[in-house]
Amino acid sequence: MADDVVLEMRGIRKVFPGIVANDDVSLDVRRGEVHALLGENGAGKSTLMNILYGLYRPDGGEILLHGKPSTFNSARDAIQAGVGMVHQHFMLIPVMTVAENIVLGAEPRDGLFLDERGAERGVHELSEQFGLVVDPSALVSEITVGQEQRVEILKALYRGADILVLDEPTAVLTPQEAKELFAIIRSLQADGKSIIFITHKLNEVLEIADRITVLRRGKVIETVPREGATEATLARAMVGREVLLRVEKAPSQPGDVLLRVDDLHVTDERGIAKVRGVSFEVRAGEIVGIAGVDGNGQTELIEAITGLRKIDGGAVTVGERTMHSASAREMLDAGVGHIPEDRQRRGLVLEFSIAENIALHDYAKPPDAKWGWLFPARMVQFAAGLIREFDVRGGGPLTRAGGLSGGNQQKVVAAREIARDPKVLIAAQPTRGLDVGAIEYLHRRIVTERDEGRAILLVSLELEEILSLSDRILVIYEGEIAGEHTGEVSEEQIGLEMLGGAERSAA
Amino acid sequence: MTADPNIPPITPEEAAETGTLAARIALKQRAGGVAVPVLTAVVAFLLGGFVVLATGHNPLLAYRDIFNGAGLNWIFHPTTNVANTAAYNLTQTLLQSTTLILTGLAVAFAFRCGMFNIGGQGQYFVGLYVANWLGFDFQHMAPLPHVLIAIGGATLAGALWAGIAGFLKATVGAHEVISTIMLNWIAIWMGEWLFGDGGPLQNVANNTVPISNDVASSAQLPVFWGVQQLQGLDIGFFVALAALVVFWIMLNRTTLGYEVRAVGFNPEAAAYGGINVKKNLVRAMAISGGFAGLAGAIDMTGYLYHFGVSDIPVSNVGFLGIAVALLGRNTAVGTGLAALLFGGLLFGTTHGLSSNVIQPELAGNLTSMIQGLIVLFVGADVLILYVWNTRKKLRLRPAA
Amino acid sequence: MTTWTQGLENPVSARLRDPATSGYAGLVLGVFAAFLAIPPIEARTTTWPIVVGVVAVVLGIWTVTRRRHRLGYGAVAAGLLGIGLGILATRSGTGNLEAVFNASLIAQTFAFSTPLVFGAIAGMFSERSGVVNIGLEGMMLMGAFWGVYGADKGSTWVVGLIVGMASGGLLALVYGFFAIHLRADQIVGGTAVNFLALGITGYFFFQIYHGNYVPQGVSNIPNVRIPGLASVGFLGPAIGDLNLMIWASFVLVIVSYFVVFKTPIGLRIRACGEHPRAADTVGINVYAVRYGCVVLSGLLAAAGGVYLSDGFGGGTFTENMTEGRGFIALAAMIFGNWRPAGAFGAAVLFGFSSAVALRLQVYSASASTLFNVLPYVLTLIAVAGVIGRTVPPAADGKPYRKQ
Repeated sequence: MADDVVLEMRGIRKVFPGIVANDDVSLDVRRGEVHALLGENGAGKSTLMNILYGLYRPDGGEILLHGKPSTFNSARDAIQAGVGMVHQHFMLIPVMTVAENIVLGAEPRDGLFLDERGAERGVHELSEQFGLVVDPSALVSEITVGQEQRVEILKALYRGADILVLDEPTAVLTPQEAKELFAIIRSLQADGKSIIFITHKLNEVLEIADRITVLRRGKVIETVPREGATEATLARAMVGREVLLRVEKAPSQPGDVLLRVDDLHVTDERGIAKVRGVSFEVRAGEIVGIAGVDGNGQTELIEAITGLRKIDGGAVTVGERTMHSASAREMLDAGVGHIPEDRQRRGLVLEFSIAENIALHDYAKPPDAKWGWLFPARMVQFAAGLIREFDVRGGGPLTRAGGLSGGNQQKVVAAREIARDPKVLIAAQPTRGLDVGAIEYLHRRIVTERDEGRAILLVSLELEEILSLSDRILVIYEGEIAGEHTGEVSEEQIGLEMLGGAERSAA
Repeated sequence: MTADPNIPPITPEEAAETGTLAARIALKQRAGGVAVPVLTAVVAFLLGGFVVLATGHNPLLAYRDIFNGAGLNWIFHPTTNVANTAAYNLTQTLLQSTTLILTGLAVAFAFRCGMFNIGGQGQYFVGLYVANWLGFDFQHMAPLPHVLIAIGGATLAGALWAGIAGFLKATVGAHEVISTIMLNWIAIWMGEWLFGDGGPLQNVANNTVPISNDVASSAQLPVFWGVQQLQGLDIGFFVALAALVVFWIMLNRTTLGYEVRAVGFNPEAAAYGGINVKKNLVRAMAISGGFAGLAGAIDMTGYLYHFGVSDIPVSNVGFLGIAVALLGRNTAVGTGLAALLFGGLLFGTTHGLSSNVIQPELAGNLTSMIQGLIVLFVGADVLILYVWNTRKKLRLRPAA
Repeated sequence: MTTWTQGLENPVSARLRDPATSGYAGLVLGVFAAFLAIPPIEARTTTWPIVVGVVAVVLGIWTVTRRRHRLGYGAVAAGLLGIGLGILATRSGTGNLEAVFNASLIAQTFAFSTPLVFGAIAGMFSERSGVVNIGLEGMMLMGAFWGVYGADKGSTWVVGLIVGMASGGLLALVYGFFAIHLRADQIVGGTAVNFLALGITGYFFFQIYHGNYVPQGVSNIPNVRIPGLASVGFLGPAIGDLNLMIWASFVLVIVSYFVVFKTPIGLRIRACGEHPRAADTVGINVYAVRYGCVVLSGLLAAAGGVYLSDGFGGGTFTENMTEGRGFIALAAMIFGNWRPAGAFGAAVLFGFSSAVALRLQVYSASASTLFNVLPYVLTLIAVAGVIGRTVPPAADGKPYRKQ
């Protein structure tokens, strides 16, 4: 019974321009099994699941459902075949009730009308059956995130799903809510449903999964039963041994404190506390790396330091100036440079020329402008120098930034930020999506800037990058600093801390 | 940090679809250059011609008569003598173009900051009213300061009127399209009240007709081509040309314009660059309204001199400004050329038209149709993107 | 939420403390203040309307401080309106007042509000599915002209209604193709629709009728004379003899309410307007729903136009006949918060102010203008969020691209 294979994915391959997202990935899921899909960001987990759910077409391989080859051209096909997916970002309509969201598209009718009572009754029965407590008549906008997730699970069950994909389900949950989710998963399992559980939190995997498949760089590393697996073995499989990029650098010579963050508190748009009392210092001539899993408050921390997000409590000190609330302009003027995590959305105005983009912070100051009058020729001249210095290829000062390759776009951003001679340089995901050459260049440049005496704060989701560049490493977990390391430290140790494992071992 | 690095970066086409209006329009400019607007106009004229043909008129002759009605045949026999019909018609076309340049700029400037100013008509009216008021009061003033006061006041009034919409957008996020539509109608009814019976700007000499006073001669712009009594071409034409230059300089040579364009293309990057986005929304809207208010002022002091309740529903230069700006790709040169086209259409299909092929009443409505078609096609950037993409594919195919 | 649960514990006293109660009381008092000044009560001093109006304002402010902004500001507005109207009314002569405020004002209010109701409901369907419809004005104008044309050539108003509605639907289909399929900017597209309709109707009006009024004797949409009621004192002139389309508009509002909020298709329409991706993932064809709603929008807006020319207008068309009614309908829809009952209420309020404006014109041009401009000012205030924030569907105006 337990060995009934309900789903088999064989040799799945998916190629995006420049990246092999899935390379010969095979996976089988048994009836009543919780199968964890473990991997770092970008390991190819989401791509694989989007193929299963009919959102992407695979370039190779096949999907067998109950032993029969199946092709899914849309989510509709997948739903009909009994595959349900709970996306990381919920597909719920806030202004509608729980019951309405669940029955949408498959509504019970009462003559011409929507049978609201019937819908609520049906949802109620379903929620009793699986122990997913929700109020069918509540508006989605008024329920908690944990409840929203239950609604999403119910939505899949209402459509008769017997294979349920949960995409990083605990990323948005409190520990208490996560416990409840695990109870729900166990009850679904008891009902014979199969669950694919996507995560990168090791402790969860060991708690809930029956089998674990580890993905790295688009390939399956191993599929192991929970018995015998440990956090250490899993972390090694997940992070990998081979470290591609080692950066040559001398030991750091820390100087004065240039950036000090004191008991910083920041909330996101939804009013959820994302940074909860973070304090640290960055000194001149050192690179401090912040390691952590996506969504643990890194974005909000950077936005607060750069004046792009309101500070709810605490202070940021740049050089001699302490600020409790500052605009982006004030932070720029205080000497903060910022290579933002999303160069296309924030770092560049893609429709602007390279020269105009390089002027983005100081367009109103000499030599770019005087008395409100722009000097485009000087902007171009200045940009031409930087293009040469930073080896930006693919265009001159008047080339539109949007026409450059990702690596060259990032060089433009880096050139602009470094050329302003900042005291503090914040580099967020500086090499995301770049080719090896560009990565090497940027890494070398960051080290050079450290040696010039800047204080560098590096935030990255790539542990390798943090390990190879940082002089000091801070680990952020759920908006708090979960660990600090200087000198040699094992990947496993940091991995444990950023996955919330340290909390458990400390407790 | 939510994006999966495995997901390929968005293509410019996708970015354009999800991006701001200004970003999309910029893309189109690259996509088609000058060919696309010309093609758009040609297709619109063709479709209009079909309607003319289907209703039993000869479209070629109709368009020839409209061409002559606009005075564009003047280039074959240039003369400054306005007794010549072509010369006279040309002055009238240029008079219309003057207004359209300014109302077009009113739409274009907001566009460049990522907003759709559909309220040019209301801002134009407010400019008209204030110019009439200031032009009639201060009777015995010296001409130069009087004209400057009337025009300056009207420009400011237009700026304030549009500024309301900008302010509402920046502070409470009210969509500028809805608020400018409402402000249009408020301005229209304001005019009905101002010039209506017992209204504060109604003619002091004759309070039985709902018409304003004439602006004092000291507040009238000098006519440089034609006769003032016959609605000659006033120096407002040069003001409009100057406005085109100012528009270009402001956008491309000042820090203000840099901010406007940055906010228009990518507000998030602008904020990251240290630009105050909200301030720019209000300011860009106000400058837009200033152009429309200036249009009203130039019309009032240039050739209308007075305005009445019955003139209000007839006026649509503010709405025409939308077509002018869109066809002109929100650039200075484009707006100027589009204004010339529409100015010619406006006069050539109505007062200027003398034709036994098509009556002015029909031709006038043909203008609205062509205008609608042009706006419809310009708005469908995907259509143009499609053409662009096919072209690209065709070019790539041999290589593949 | 909290006040509601308190109400369960201690019903009576909690109800009284509930800010909603004071808010509604303020609203009612505000209306009452205005009512005091007009027939049949006609308080001859300004005192009473002002006193009652001030009480309404105070209640409103109290409500606002209890964080029921929408209701509170509504009460404040009603109170101020009451005071203003009261002062205005008591300063005019009694005879004038009776000429302005009598039972036939109700009939006229409905005559003015009906095109707005059709337009507002039309806009609501389109926007509920996620397509902004600035082109209501143009679609209404199409209905107005082609409706009369159909009634003239087809010899019966039924043909007129069908032809008129079809013309609006056709224009909407063109708009839908650009807005949904080509993902054109919806504001630009709607603006184009308005220009296009103005040109088409004007052109064919001159081509077919040479700019004169449509020949006499065009079959009109009939009035519904309710036997027995027509002669009853107040009700007779008020609702005893209303046009068929007015009654149709009442039915439309009720039907729309049920369709949008009580049927599966309504749920799907709203889903497409709120979160098309979510609708798509559960198997709803977003494009089909949006096309359907946009075309329905064109049909309904045009029906309002047919009423304008062949019902209200008695079988005549004039160039640009709608004169911005499509935009007032848009305003009514926004003011009514994208809901049928709200849109209807706003349309009637706007129709009322137009009717009053028309009647006041003889006595006071400025008061007349005040009432004419009221819909736009109220809508501007509404979008500014002063009287609670109006909330459009979340995906309104956003083109949808399938994955």
